[in-house]
Amino acid sequence: MQDRQKLTDRQINDDLLRPVERTPRAFWIVAGLLVLELAGALVVLGLVFYWGLGFLGINRPVMWAVLITNFVFWVGISHAGVMISSILRLTHAEWRRPVTRAAEVLTVFALITAALFPVIHSGRPWRTIYWTLPYDFTRGIWPNVRSPLIWDPSAIFTYLTGAALFIYTIMIPDLAILRDRATGVRRRFYATLCLGWRGTARQWRFQGIAGILISAIILPVFVSVHSIVSWDFAMALVPSWHSTIFAPYFVIGAIHSGVAAVTTLMVILRRFFRLESYITPDHFDALGRLLIPIGLGWFYFFFMDFAIGLYSQETVDIAPNILRLFTPPYNVLFIIFIFSAFIIPVPSWFFRRVRRSPLLMLVTTLLVNVGMWLERFLIIAPGLQYKQPLTYTWGGYTVSIFELIITVSSFCLVALGVLLFSKVFPIIPVWDQKEGQRLQDEIQTGRRKVPAVILKEE
Amino acid sequence: MSEAGQEPGEFWDSRPEVITRDILARYQGIGPGFWLAVGITAILFLIGIVGFVFRLQGGFQDRAAWGYYAATFAFLLATVQGAPMVTIGLLFTKAHLRRPVSGPSVLFAVPGILVFLIFIPLLSLIPPLQGRNNLWFGMAIGGAPYTWDTLSVGFLVLCGLAFFWLVSRPDLDAVRQLGRGWRVRLAGLLAGNWRGSHGQWWLLRKWMVILGVLYFVALVITNTVVSIDVAMSLVPGWQSAIFAPYHILTSLQGGVAATIVAMGIMRWAGFRSYLLFDQFWGLGKILLALSLLGIYFTFADFITLWYGRMPGEQAIFQLTMFGPYLPVFLAAFFLSFFAPLLAMIWNQVRQSIAGPTLVAMGVLVGLFLDRIRLYVPAFTAAQVSLEPIRQAPPAHLPDGADLMMMIGFPAGAILLYLLASKLVPAISLWQIKELLLLRTTRRYIRAKVISLAKPE
Amino acid sequence: MAGPQHRWGMIVDIDRCTGCQACVVACWAENNVTINTQDIDDEFRGYYWIRIERYWEGDYPNLKVRYLPVLCQHCGNAPCEPVCPVYATHRSDDGINVQVYNRCVGTRYCANNCPYNVRFFNYWERWPLPEPENPEARGKGFNNYLNPDVTIRSHGIMEKCSFCLQRIRRTEREAGREGRNVRDGEIQPACAQTCPTGVLTFGDLADPNSRVSQLAQDPRHYHLLEHLGTDTSVIYLKRIDVNV
Repeated sequence: MQDRQKLTDRQINDDLLRPVERTPRAFWIVAGLLVLELAGALVVLGLVFYWGLGFLGINRPVMWAVLITNFVFWVGISHAGVMISSILRLTHAEWRRPVTRAAEVLTVFALITAALFPVIHSGRPWRTIYWTLPYDFTRGIWPNVRSPLIWDPSAIFTYLTGAALFIYTIMIPDLAILRDRATGVRRRFYATLCLGWRGTARQWRFQGIAGILISAIILPVFVSVHSIVSWDFAMALVPSWHSTIFAPYFVIGAIHSGVAAVTTLMVILRRFFRLESYITPDHFDALGRLLIPIGLGWFYFFFMDFAIGLYSQETVDIAPNILRLFTPPYNVLFIIFIFSAFIIPVPSWFFRRVRRSPLLMLVTTLLVNVGMWLERFLIIAPGLQYKQPLTYTWGGYTVSIFELIITVSSFCLVALGVLLFSKVFPIIPVWDQKEGQRLQDEIQTGRRKVPAVILKEE
Repeated sequence: MSEAGQEPGEFWDSRPEVITRDILARYQGIGPGFWLAVGITAILFLIGIVGFVFRLQGGFQDRAAWGYYAATFAFLLATVQGAPMVTIGLLFTKAHLRRPVSGPSVLFAVPGILVFLIFIPLLSLIPPLQGRNNLWFGMAIGGAPYTWDTLSVGFLVLCGLAFFWLVSRPDLDAVRQLGRGWRVRLAGLLAGNWRGSHGQWWLLRKWMVILGVLYFVALVITNTVVSIDVAMSLVPGWQSAIFAPYHILTSLQGGVAATIVAMGIMRWAGFRSYLLFDQFWGLGKILLALSLLGIYFTFADFITLWYGRMPGEQAIFQLTMFGPYLPVFLAAFFLSFFAPLLAMIWNQVRQSIAGPTLVAMGVLVGLFLDRIRLYVPAFTAAQVSLEPIRQAPPAHLPDGADLMMMIGFPAGAILLYLLASKLVPAISLWQIKELLLLRTTRRYIRAKVISLAKPE
Repeated sequence: MAGPQHRWGMIVDIDRCTGCQACVVACWAENNVTINTQDIDDEFRGYYWIRIERYWEGDYPNLKVRYLPVLCQHCGNAPCEPVCPVYATHRSDDGINVQVYNRCVGTRYCANNCPYNVRFFNYWERWPLPEPENPEARGKGFNNYLNPDVTIRSHGIMEKCSFCLQRIRRTEREAGREGRNVRDGEIQPACAQTCPTGVLTFGDLADPNSRVSQLAQDPRHYHLLEHLGTDTSVIYLKRIDVNV
């Protein structure tokens, strides 16, 4: 870490707990706007539930469109949490320290949002909710385990449980600090949550073990969740979907969009909560360097899916791709997608100047997520539009305003969730920062002082 | 095997001069064990060449007969070319783990020459692109697939050799200055004008990264192009998009496994102070992760083919997994992916030296079996047609010539490796000595901790 | 119910099809399928439990057309069945791919997976239909034309051709009451009943003496999209092209 800071414990406590302890006016304004938007979304959803899915743009054959795109998109964003938190924790990367909790919180709220979409886009959501639970509620009929739509909730809820436990377990020492600084009802709230943390050596040892264990355990979950979501598509007979590569392709796409989303979130948090000493250009540099192989790997999988998709040289395989690449409006969307998701951001991250600038990282990572949203849409809608070999029923698709409102609302829901979380709990881990401070070191080699890290005794 | 050199204990507790003297002593000394190994592998390699000549006499008309040859090539391509990736990958992630590992792993670049030579006859077995599915969109641009496949394999091998030469330059210079005998002149020739100046070190580091990137790109492209052109496109109806990424993954896994086995053998041959528990532990964890990914990729392939219940896909399913080659598939899956998982989740196995080494040996056998179950059926079911196959042809068993080649060519690769290990010091001197500058112990309150530098 | 196990199937003789769409109308009337307007069709939301596909060949004035009636194929190896999360669609013992309206939650995965595109989703609540504008017809309600034997589908669920299952069950019950088996040709779905040229023949494929079993032996027979391995119960007979 080149621009290292020497920060005292008191300074760390004050800076990182300020968002929890003090509420600026801007918070109320932003939260209020988000709540308003969500109220509007509830109205829209109420209309859809009551009158029917006719308000959405879906038709025959494009039975899944924008709402399922949102589902896949948010599950994708949720992968960032595990990528950054557990993989960087297991590989002892020092630069993860400020980023982990924000990434995990984004994961949890993205998952909650994602889990809503299969429910609201089904025809009878009031039945979907409990008939897909693993119990024979009616007439002794259990859900169909063979359907990928039943694998989905198991995967998502496993991940959600794991991620929630992850956040909670790692947060216990921070809750103890909050308990010590709080009074009254808040003190009792934090005291209950932190389970009597005293900071003894034994408790710290268990904290370390718990962190490593849960990081390792959640890794298979992370790979499996988006694979299972991808199998919603790969198990279908739709020609452009039925590809063996969908699972790793979607996972690496999820990592790409997720890490980009975390970077966006870090820039926003840094500005919003004035955390310039904690989230430094070094962190954006590291995130950018992480994003390069991820972006390139994603592009390789995208290209393989595309090339082998055309491989059979049959009409059913070629037609959706001609639709995607050459037919309006999809051709415009395709160009926007490929430029936003890859051609503009990834080469730009090769330059140090871009990586170290929070503003440029914000712009490039926002572009990545715009592109990745379009990528999912371009897989789903054109794939369905020209799916059948009997070309008479090739269809079309027009987005409806209701779908767009619901899409925007999903962003607002996630934003509101992260905002409320940061109000109640510290969004940058406090004890992790202090640990990082303790482990900073310098080694003298010749005339140079090289920054070093103290390794913990194994 | 070594001369009167001092055993430095764990290398990072030692001094640079001691390390240099010890490694150079091991490099100079060619003991009876080494000659025995060279002798055995040379004889086996000759047997392999004899088998190849037998196979050549059958001509190239019967594609099925060449299945095991192709599988051997694919196995060597995966293992030999995957091994330098261990060093390159660790270089990208700035892990100090790469320092002792670099020697054993980059030496594998030299057998790449053999891999390239073995590839050339396979070109006659690839039919032209007309009338069948292929990666090149039906257009034989620039002589596809023959030219591009050869170029990519050749480029990969060249890149590996270039990386090997680059990383070895400072060590070759050390040999030139401190060594004895006829190899000093050869080392001097290869080291060129290396003086160890500031500028040269800076260039070395820069070019390591550049060549590393080029090598990785070449590995990805070669595995993609070769796997599809030599196997998948031969069988109509086989269009598994995960085939190429699976090859890349198993190549990386094979490379890690080969490195671990090479490290294990080197330890046994006397490099005990340099290849320590930390290296085996680190590479063992990477092997475990790659095995898990291997299970994942195999499952993704399986579930997509199985679920659709389409006849064309069911035939491929039978061909490569659950049909005539079921025992091979199960053995390969178990040895390559499942056994590493079962073994390495136990602390005693993972946190040891013998554990990862034994598991790695199993992985190598499993990788060979895996290539057999992919390439032999591809060659027996090969047809120039766009109509998907309906049935998997019966299993093709290896004959004498096949067995001779399957033993001979890996032996040839090992032979080249052994010869290379006496051309260049087998442990990378400069990388190890660099760690001595970057590692120190400190007192922290009452404990002794290690401080490791992270230079940008 | 005692008696032989049936396996209902249908023969579609394309050589006889004139594209008159009488089958479409009959199916609509029998099964309470909604009325499609031009707007609905433009939105690609039309309901056609059976549809006549038209494929044009050549240019004016040498224009030729091929008609292909497509309905639910009642596949033995149906792609729509394993993907339904709530088992709302499954194959009955007598070879019909049934759609259970009160179990369907409307995820529409079955529609995505159907390669024949014969599944329809109810986007809106369509009943009762709005009162007609003609004042004289008010109060008379257009709903009197509905068939009481067939459920009205609410919004949010899938529907498709059921081989007029209501007719099959009614005939089986009558036959059972009279203590006999169902006779060949006694059950006719609405489309088969109405077709003027005899394109559609319905019957028991498990009965070797039935007309459908005999027609299935015709050298012109084929299954639609056979390469997908769906094992359809609807067998097509190829058109005889005299101008080859």
